[in-house]
Amino acid sequence: MSTLEKPPPAPAMPPPAPSSRLAALAPHTTVLRIAGGLLTLVGALLPWATFVLNEGPYPEKSTLEFFSAPFAVTGFRLHLAVFGIAAIVIALVAVPGRERILRAIGWGVVAVAVVNGLYIAVEGGGLGAITAADGVAFGAVAALVGGVLLVLGATAGGLTPVPVWTWQFNRYLEWLILVVTYGLLLLLVSAVLTSGGRGSAANVYSGAVFLSFLGAAGGLLGALHASGLLAWIGAVSERHRLFSVIVLLVTALLLPLTGAGNEYWMTVAANIGVYAATAIGLNIVVGLAGLLDLGYVAFLGIGAFVAANFSGAAASRIGIELPFPVVMVLAAVIAGIFGAIVGSPTLRVRGDYLAIVTLAFGEIFVRSAQNNIGGLTGGSNAIPGIPPVSLFGTEFNDAVQVGGLELAPGVLYYVLIVLIVAAVMLVFANLKNSRLGRAWIAIREDEDAARAMGIRTGPIKILAFLIGAMLAGFAGAFFAHKTATVSYESFRFLESVTLLAAVILGGMGTIPGAVLGASILFVLPEKLREFSDYRLLLFGLALILIMRFRPQGLVPDRHRRAELAPETDAETGPIPAGDGDTAKASAS
Amino acid sequence: MLSTLFSQIVNGLVLGSLIGLIALGYTMVYGIIQLINFAHGEIFMVGAYGGLAMFTYLLPTFVQQQWYLALPLLLIAGAAVAVGVAVAMERFAYRPLRNAPRLAPLITALGVSVALQEAVRVFYPGATAAIPFPDIFVPGTWMIPIGDGVPIKYSGLLLVVVSLTLAIGLQLFIDRSRMGRAMRATSQDRDVARLMGIDPDRVIVLTFVLGGALAGVGGVLYGGYLNNINIDMGFQNGIFAFTAAVLGGIGSVRGAVVGGLTIGLIKSLGGQYLPGGSAYDYVWIFVVLIAVLVFRPQGFFGETERVRA
Repeated sequence: MSTLEKPPPAPAMPPPAPSSRLAALAPHTTVLRIAGGLLTLVGALLPWATFVLNEGPYPEKSTLEFFSAPFAVTGFRLHLAVFGIAAIVIALVAVPGRERILRAIGWGVVAVAVVNGLYIAVEGGGLGAITAADGVAFGAVAALVGGVLLVLGATAGGLTPVPVWTWQFNRYLEWLILVVTYGLLLLLVSAVLTSGGRGSAANVYSGAVFLSFLGAAGGLLGALHASGLLAWIGAVSERHRLFSVIVLLVTALLLPLTGAGNEYWMTVAANIGVYAATAIGLNIVVGLAGLLDLGYVAFLGIGAFVAANFSGAAASRIGIELPFPVVMVLAAVIAGIFGAIVGSPTLRVRGDYLAIVTLAFGEIFVRSAQNNIGGLTGGSNAIPGIPPVSLFGTEFNDAVQVGGLELAPGVLYYVLIVLIVAAVMLVFANLKNSRLGRAWIAIREDEDAARAMGIRTGPIKILAFLIGAMLAGFAGAFFAHKTATVSYESFRFLESVTLLAAVILGGMGTIPGAVLGASILFVLPEKLREFSDYRLLLFGLALILIMRFRPQGLVPDRHRRAELAPETDAETGPIPAGDGDTAKASAS
Repeated sequence: MLSTLFSQIVNGLVLGSLIGLIALGYTMVYGIIQLINFAHGEIFMVGAYGGLAMFTYLLPTFVQQQWYLALPLLLIAGAAVAVGVAVAMERFAYRPLRNAPRLAPLITALGVSVALQEAVRVFYPGATAAIPFPDIFVPGTWMIPIGDGVPIKYSGLLLVVVSLTLAIGLQLFIDRSRMGRAMRATSQDRDVARLMGIDPDRVIVLTFVLGGALAGVGGVLYGGYLNNINIDMGFQNGIFAFTAAVLGGIGSVRGAVVGGLTIGLIKSLGGQYLPGGSAYDYVWIFVVLIAVLVFRPQGFFGETERVRA
């Protein structure tokens, strides 16, 4: 598959017929699209609010403030302007896959318009805030209508499949492309984290700015996916897997150098890292072996309490202080032992009942910890005052100087957790492609058939629990030192549900899925502080909606995608021969 | 000494009959659609809050003071709210996932449970802490004439009597009525039942209605017994009820009642006499659950078939 020519452009294939409601609009698609793009552009330039909102990002009645905050990188006007111009250009030029690109852009515009318009309307006391006659504040309405027109115009003519690009360049050029791509990804992540700033009394718009930025980013990513570029980059990084992994690791380590490099975000990132590592461990149990574990956070807790007791904290029952790397290994081992203990009775139990048994074990752990069993957990007083990790004489809490650059305190913890997550990912990837991993997948798919094939399901299921628990214990040791206090409160049933939700939301059985899920579930509450009272309610609703509409998660495993959401061929187009899942290509 | 034992037995039986009421809902739903409805405990909780809302906001004062007027209205209100939530849950959360792999409805049930708990906490005034629940029956305690006299609140006695009556009524309904036969058929083999002219969707809705009504009634009575309710009561009692349903044999009405009484007794007697005291009473229940699922998954009255994956 080393052709250097482009495949024939997609429009050679007739697009599938549109639904009957949209068929009436089919002849006018180009007009609709251009109109949509123009309206979006106009909306970007019009004022959006009829009054001054504390001089935030919504200046009153202003029109052409091109170079102030609204047009900063995270400014919604810039996003709308770019979307509008892009839409007009794509509507006129026959770019492959343009219907889907325009649809993605349209939805992005709608999202930005709705978020900002709603916010201004709510703050301003009603729709009058965005539609007043004096001072023409129609920006929100114009953008919304523009977005809707774009979506209609994009889909009215039917959707062609996402184009598949088979370009191949010489190795160094592809390496350069990968470096650039991951560099841009780093900047995107940094922008997502810092958009809107930190929510606080002085900065009440942070939630709205963040959501608007997310909407625009979503539209951008959707457009890139629709153009087939994301899939192509994926293929390129598959070709140079080792290099991609190294570059990804380096870019992750460079996050402290970007705008998100202050102590606050480093702490958030470290917490995400802990839960991402735990989620990857859970992915082994749930994603690979199919053993639904509702008490998994207990292993994180066991690791944390072990580390707390051996850390030399004043409140720890065992007065021994061990060096941190030893403690990490010890925590992993003890958690692993408990994992095996939990796994053993479950061998005869399947499905829902397994979930309940693991839930019961999780609850036993919480209750025992709450009652300070053996004096090891501190009960309601927890174990406070755990000293920070200290390696080579540097306490990880301090700010550090690297070659003249002053890094914020907490950067060292961040670097450590990135390395831990990388190690956990490595373990997971190796396991998944080993005999053991294949045995787990076989058990997940059909345990009886696996047994008939000679797989000893009992010991292998226990191994799944054991290894999963070890990874969680590993992360737990870090968690204890980072948060300096370990209490039973952090390990309740709800946390298990959240971890499971992270794995499912991200996509079961995939590493990027687990990390993405953990990130989303930890960044969102931080950024949307004003909704913190509704956080759990929205979380519950989100679980229901995800299982209803996208049970395979955001980054699905190939098996899961086929199992949970069989797509039609129209979505992905013909898969080129030589790819592993030709069976799937001919299915549906 | 002996009177402590007896009073703990009485406590256990009262709690056990409540757990049996909730367990009936779990066992019926699992029997019909093989789904552990994690949110069933929340239906119980919502029923209690529904009854309280009726009492606090809708009843005129003179009715509030006459228990024989207030009680039936509260029971109806609690059952109605619980049934409404249960039917909505079935219609919007579970029915679309009828043919999905087992993980999906389970996670959805978890989501519904969290969402319901939080919805009550956020939207019901004062629900962030425990709310007092009024006396809705004859106040006071009856001393059972054993030994020095074993106290049992009249509201507790009401709870036991109502639970047993409802359970017997449910068993008769399932055994003798047409709809009951339809339920049994649907739980055995849904497709053949459809061939026989039974609409499985209606049967499933009826199952949720019955389970919800029982849980709602239980919620109101429990509130009247303890004189306060809080949003956690659903989760805790739900786990106990599920354990009871499994212990008794999932799918069996008698099993749910017997299992409920057993669990109630374990909780109160275990909390009194086993090491660790009442702080560990939950732990003993979980140990029982694990033991049952590992050693005798079919429970007391279930059939000896392997637990299906």
